[in-house]
Amino acid sequence: MKYYKDHYDVIVIGGALAGLSAALMLAEKGKDVLVLERHNLPGGVATSFVRGGIEIEAALHEMMYIGDKDNRQKVGKFFDRLGIDIDWLKVPEAYHASLPGIEATMHPGLETFSKEVDAVVPGSYDKVLGLLNLCADVYSSVNELSVRSMSKAQMLLKHEAFVKTAGYSTKEVLDSFDLPQKALDLLAPYWIYVGSGFSDLPFTIYAVLMGEYVGNGSFIPRKFSHEMSLKMAEKAEEMGVQIEYRQHVDKILVKDGKACGVRTALGHEIFADYVICSAYPNTVYTKMIEPASEVPAEAIKMVNARRLSLSAYSVILILDKSAEELGIKDYSIFRGKTMDTDECYRELGTLGPYSYLTCICHNLANPDATPPGTCSFSITVLPRVDAWKTVTADDYDRVKHEIADQLVADMSEYLGFDLKDHVLECVIETPVTVARYTGMYNGCIYGYAHTMEDHIVARLQTADAEHFIDHLEFSGAHQISGDGMGPAVVNGWKAAKNVLNTMEKEAE
Amino acid sequence: MKVKGFLKDVGGASRVTKTRLESFENASDRPDMTDPIADVARAWHPGWLDLVVSEVTDISKTSKAVRFRRADGEPMQYFYAGQYMVLDFPIGESVISRPYTVSSAPCRARGGDGYVEICVRRPKEDGFIADYVNEEVKPGDTFRGLIGCGQFYFEPLRDSRTVVAIAGGVGITPFASMAEEVADGKLDIDLTILYGSVSSDDIIMRDRLEAIEKRCDKVKVVNILSGDEPGWKGERGFIDARRIRKYSPAGVENTTYFVCGPQVMYGFIEKAFDELDVPKRRRRFEVFGQAADVTALEGYPEDMKDKTDTEYELTVVRGISETVIPAKAGESLVTALERAGIRTETGCRSGECGFCRTKVLSGNVFISPKSEGLRAADRDFGYVHACAAYPLSNAKIRIPIAQK
Repeated sequence: MKYYKDHYDVIVIGGALAGLSAALMLAEKGKDVLVLERHNLPGGVATSFVRGGIEIEAALHEMMYIGDKDNRQKVGKFFDRLGIDIDWLKVPEAYHASLPGIEATMHPGLETFSKEVDAVVPGSYDKVLGLLNLCADVYSSVNELSVRSMSKAQMLLKHEAFVKTAGYSTKEVLDSFDLPQKALDLLAPYWIYVGSGFSDLPFTIYAVLMGEYVGNGSFIPRKFSHEMSLKMAEKAEEMGVQIEYRQHVDKILVKDGKACGVRTALGHEIFADYVICSAYPNTVYTKMIEPASEVPAEAIKMVNARRLSLSAYSVILILDKSAEELGIKDYSIFRGKTMDTDECYRELGTLGPYSYLTCICHNLANPDATPPGTCSFSITVLPRVDAWKTVTADDYDRVKHEIADQLVADMSEYLGFDLKDHVLECVIETPVTVARYTGMYNGCIYGYAHTMEDHIVARLQTADAEHFIDHLEFSGAHQISGDGMGPAVVNGWKAAKNVLNTMEKEAE
Repeated sequence: MKVKGFLKDVGGASRVTKTRLESFENASDRPDMTDPIADVARAWHPGWLDLVVSEVTDISKTSKAVRFRRADGEPMQYFYAGQYMVLDFPIGESVISRPYTVSSAPCRARGGDGYVEICVRRPKEDGFIADYVNEEVKPGDTFRGLIGCGQFYFEPLRDSRTVVAIAGGVGITPFASMAEEVADGKLDIDLTILYGSVSSDDIIMRDRLEAIEKRCDKVKVVNILSGDEPGWKGERGFIDARRIRKYSPAGVENTTYFVCGPQVMYGFIEKAFDELDVPKRRRRFEVFGQAADVTALEGYPEDMKDKTDTEYELTVVRGISETVIPAKAGESLVTALERAGIRTETGCRSGECGFCRTKVLSGNVFISPKSEGLRAADRDFGYVHACAAYPLSNAKIRIPIAQK
């Protein structure tokens, strides 16, 4: 039986958001694309599952780069352009911050947010707004520079803030604003979405984070992130992309320095002009390239030099009362016993206890997320991959439950009732769960850590030199834009654009 | 604007690029092949395994226990007591899969000679696989199996440590696994098993459970016979509200009930739970497998009820190829695929686990209302779980490419 065509323009390994986004962009340009996905549904961690008849979001807290209908941002625009009609629901607040000496609910909008900080720390309005405006300024430069390059002099002229902050950590720039501690605390909770402590987090990344989340707010699909993943996959198929599920790719075939196809676990050899790969470069360069002699030493040095970022640990509870009955008032609660991000980052390198937790109650953005009289409540920490590397198969269940007990006890104390008295269904997701379903290297969902040593500005400048095998592109959290579902889509475009550019160049 | 000083500020981009290149230069060029987190994932979920039969024993007049080891000699995988495994049986041209609860404890799967065990009883109807296992399967045979499936296990975050298990017939198997795990000190619960049978001959694994009860005071087994058996000294009748209350000294709020048995039993037990006001979160029901009679399912079209023998054409798309096979109205899409010798991944055969997620491209298909595993967006795009979907017309479906 013949399952595949003799030849494709592009084979995309991995049908998660980045792979699908790349496939969609290539299909839009009329390319013949095959997507191979190891699981039996699209999306990677952007998915949902069903327990006891109740559908449960697997990973999405809030989607960035969407924007309101009249203020669509880049990913929202992309979906609109392709007719991928997702039922977006706006997340009502930025977050409820429960921090030392602070209980405050913050909302998106640069001025609104600044006013809310000012209500906690009187007199801080101007400075906070100044900082947020700087973030918005840098963020708009990042958006512009990602589509068009320019000379250094031009950059300094048109993108002064971007240029002048590029060499600094978030802490260095925040320090220059001389803000009171409580104001700094209120400006820190989103750090977890980029996953490095402020002394090592490039300010550029912080600016994108705050510029987008505080500037434009965030969104979730009504039918969970699976709605987004599935609609992308269905649209791709409608545009002629062949998607095959349950197909695990073992090898990327390389000939004379050029990727030319793949071999699947079922033994099918499939050929194409280009391969876009969502597996980590670590996995690809050490295990997947055939023959292995096609991997240069520089590629190994590169993956060895880069530090893996965060994985995920979530306790997801379906509770047997509504959010209202239980007194849960906020979509997201960010609770920190400290808001020192460097200290939080250090803790994420252990197996707990953890003092910085993020909680989501989907029903507060989507009242029908669970059946009437119930609600969902998840507690998440994003441990560093290093911490989980020490957990053995024998210890796994014990470690998994010890962390769950700590998280549930902490949040029960905060909420004023014992969550354990209301658990209708529960699921504990760990780095091992991520590894099991997605195959991501060491269960790492965040790619390489955003650090001063692995700075996004440097990533952009050295991208061409880090291209070790022709006609092989990468897409996923391990690429330039890093972690998150919005950035995953952007990483997919980048891979598709690289393919399209090479095609054009070689045609000349 | 200024952060620290003009020169330092504008030199930032070059500075971070230089740092990056230096870090690459100083890195090791030795490939690091390790992925310890994937190793743990594989130890718990290795996927399909070749399993070799190590032992077949009679455990009641109509039931056999079959034990398996890994054919490759690797350690058996981890799983939770109460979970099931899926076994593939090559029968003629077909490969037919069935889910079986593992009746041995997870602790028995540890160590060099670790094994998993299933119990197969010959049911009254639709028993051809049960017959096959009872008559044909012998030590040394090899089957493909997927272990560690399903959600029917004790979860300390959700469940009370006081557990009452309610079993009927072969539904004793998950509790046999749990009891052994408790007796070996690997599962910290107080377990009372209420086990309903018609006659004492039907009681499966009676000796084993009695031995466990003797050596472990955290496990208690109550056999309840519904048949009129002279000389029976134990409980008689059915498992009803009165009996459930009697064996729940901690009260229904503080007891988690696990129920596994024939489909008819579930209705009675649900009623008893309602009567006793057992909170929903304290009720755990195992899925009960393939519907014996599709016409009995809620919502099955009236005008089709006498036409379940109707044979439709089912076009199966895999990759760029299409195959047309026959599909009977009264049988699930998975059964049609298996009869035609087309391999498809399927697990629970109850519409729950989602292994056999399949897109219906055209045609009408009845979806069992018991198929509770479908995602909302999947429903919108015509996805079904093929084990719980029945053709109502000629139809076309798309399934993943799989090994023959």
